[in-house]
Amino acid sequence: MIPASNSAPPILNPAVSPERTLHRLFLTLFLRGRSSRGLRKSSAPKSVGSKLALTVVLYALVGLVALTFQRQPIFVLALYLHAMTLVFLGMFVAASAGEILFNKEEADILLHRPIAPRTLLWAKIGVLVQVSLWLAGAFNLAGFFIGVRSPDGGWLFPLAHVISTAFEALFCTGFVVVTYQLCLRWFGREKLEGLMTTVQVIVALAAVLGGQLVPQLIARFGGNLRLGLDSWWIALLPPAWFAGFDDALAGSRAPTSWMLGGAALFLTIVVLWLAFGRLAKDYESGLQSLGESVSRPKKAGGRRWVAAMVQAPPLKWWLRDSVSRAAFLLTAAYLFRDRDVKLRVYPGLAPVLVMPLIFLLQSRRGGVHDGGFSVAFSGAYLGLIPLLGLSLLQYSQQWQATDLFRAAPMVGPIALCHGARRAVLCILTLPMLSLFALVAWLVPGDATRLLLLLPGIIALPVFSLIPSMGGKCVPFSLPTEEAKSAGRGLTMIGVMIASFALAGLTAWSWSGGWFWWLVLVETIVGVIIYAMIRASLASVRWPPME
Amino acid sequence: MISLQNLTKRFGTQVAVDALSFEIPAGQIVGFLGPNGAGKSTTLKMLTGMLEPSAGTATVCGFDLQRETMEVKRHVGFVPESGAVFESLTGLEYLEMVAALYALPQDAARARIQQFTAFFDLSFATLTDKLLGAYSKGMRRKVVITAALLHNPAVVFFDEPLDGLDANAAVGFKTLIQTLAREGKTIVYSSHILDVVERVCDRVIIIDKGKLLLDGRPDELVATRGSGTLERLFTDITGGTELERRAEDFAKTFRP
Repeated sequence: MIPASNSAPPILNPAVSPERTLHRLFLTLFLRGRSSRGLRKSSAPKSVGSKLALTVVLYALVGLVALTFQRQPIFVLALYLHAMTLVFLGMFVAASAGEILFNKEEADILLHRPIAPRTLLWAKIGVLVQVSLWLAGAFNLAGFFIGVRSPDGGWLFPLAHVISTAFEALFCTGFVVVTYQLCLRWFGREKLEGLMTTVQVIVALAAVLGGQLVPQLIARFGGNLRLGLDSWWIALLPPAWFAGFDDALAGSRAPTSWMLGGAALFLTIVVLWLAFGRLAKDYESGLQSLGESVSRPKKAGGRRWVAAMVQAPPLKWWLRDSVSRAAFLLTAAYLFRDRDVKLRVYPGLAPVLVMPLIFLLQSRRGGVHDGGFSVAFSGAYLGLIPLLGLSLLQYSQQWQATDLFRAAPMVGPIALCHGARRAVLCILTLPMLSLFALVAWLVPGDATRLLLLLPGIIALPVFSLIPSMGGKCVPFSLPTEEAKSAGRGLTMIGVMIASFALAGLTAWSWSGGWFWWLVLVETIVGVIIYAMIRASLASVRWPPME
Repeated sequence: MISLQNLTKRFGTQVAVDALSFEIPAGQIVGFLGPNGAGKSTTLKMLTGMLEPSAGTATVCGFDLQRETMEVKRHVGFVPESGAVFESLTGLEYLEMVAALYALPQDAARARIQQFTAFFDLSFATLTDKLLGAYSKGMRRKVVITAALLHNPAVVFFDEPLDGLDANAAVGFKTLIQTLAREGKTIVYSSHILDVVERVCDRVIIIDKGKLLLDGRPDELVATRGSGTLERLFTDITGGTELERRAEDFAKTFRP
């Protein structure tokens, strides 16, 4: 029977305020993940503190790269630190904001509770800012001490940098929130999801690109990175504003630094005012419309070309069985439509395209004299596209739906793996290689060096089979939480080392005059390994379910 | 207790709920029925303050749905059809979070949770140690029902509450809501399991395409229409003609 309310014990502890409750809730959800599926189900929840500590330590370790900026002027050091902080925070906030700000499942849990939408917004933003600050603090830890020993630095630098980093975290979070709100206001919630996925992917790509370009920029300007007639555009870069703040308070104290620092403060305040004041109402209405289930039919024509391609040669010949054809279509659909998959795959692949392009541009402008290592490394990197793509496509929020594959009359998952692999080759690898070839063709320089790309490209088919070994590469069959596992990171490090080795061997063969022998041997060995892996895959059966 | 006047919800050009009007007094259990897409869930979401009506008015517990939304939310409990929970919280963390949102003191909330745990035969150790993602569907549903009733609401909206509950829990739940109604609470019960609705509810409201089709006591409606059962009455008035014959014809297509 329903418990009578008067049987409750006397009140000893007052209620926790909704604000604190929500803040704690969103922080816990953020740290543990939205779904427990990636955790060991029967165990008690993992410690939030230890997970957080691990992340913070990891960021602090990455921040040690700042040690290479010892004895640099404050502006240069701060520009590097703020640029990299913005890269990390931009990627983190862009990737997290959609799920945190507008979560559909959350609507059924929270929207009928007595909570004002503004309280919800504050709690969510509070968590985003708090986590951003932890990460930024950890990443900048080494930089604090290096700034103290800078030629124009001193003990004031850590204080100035803490303040500017806090402003940067607020600016970054506020900017993403404002972007959401403006999209809501201009395009409505119906289009928000698709639009924001595109925006998030672009932001993440820009962050990756920025992360690669900033060190190049600093190398170009050396220690004389200052605002001048020839470098006025630096004032347009947000990291330069915050670096100016540091330099104004604890560095050269030049007038331009004061101007940049002032811009940092002013623009952060404007962004925050827009996010939490001017446009807060849009968030409220957006939240209300979360529960609206508009069954408006989608335009059918949009993705029909993929289905048509599969039915026509040469894909029809390549996808001979119905299972690999279905897996191809499924993979294509997720690559084009699924927000979560797009946010993981495209930013994840961005460095694989950006790095070779940067190496190519450097090497063809004669900027690097490395015996062809840069081009060879680009080739080895490009060869990794299918391997990386397939690894990223194993994860999905709808992983439980793949039980369907096991229920179907298939002795093993290999036909599914092949379908997914071919989709990755057609939809991701081919366009990326074509884009790279186009850039390589357009950029003037010694075209013969492009032959150094060959060993990497020859290795591509073998690399593309590696994820399928043991039947592990069933598309979308693993919970997204497992994408963050340490084992996956180690695998990627191993693959990177292999790329380095291949690039080194290629450069050596080029300078030693036995490049074509290498290509011949690699082709023969590649064909043998490819055939062996294919043969071994044919006998793979379903791995046991957990 | 609940009063709707021409309550309407439009999604673009699509009318999901079309000028719905009815009143539900305190202490009544009302079966809120309709075929898929009839507008039931949309109506419930409006009455719980989750969706803003496009037109019309409604009051719940005397509070205006649009002007006093927070008061309405304080006085209602809702078990959504999705049964959504935060899977990475333990059952206890989830329920304590819900209790805090209704400003229930921590000790009172904990005691209340223990009472519900005992009622639903849930192990308190499970509630404290296991994440909700690891719960069975039935256990999760029990937690969602507990979360809806924790703050002792005057009005409770149930959307397919028996989904996932085992037979024993379902029997206990049906008795629970009947007793709650006798204690003066208003229950709105939306379900497709019509024999349960027929046994439990004092009154049924049937809607289709957002419009009110029938409103009355189940036994009287069945008798007046000569349908025999509520299920038959429902299929008669919601356009499900010749369902058995169509099903038989379709099943024959599976012959080898």
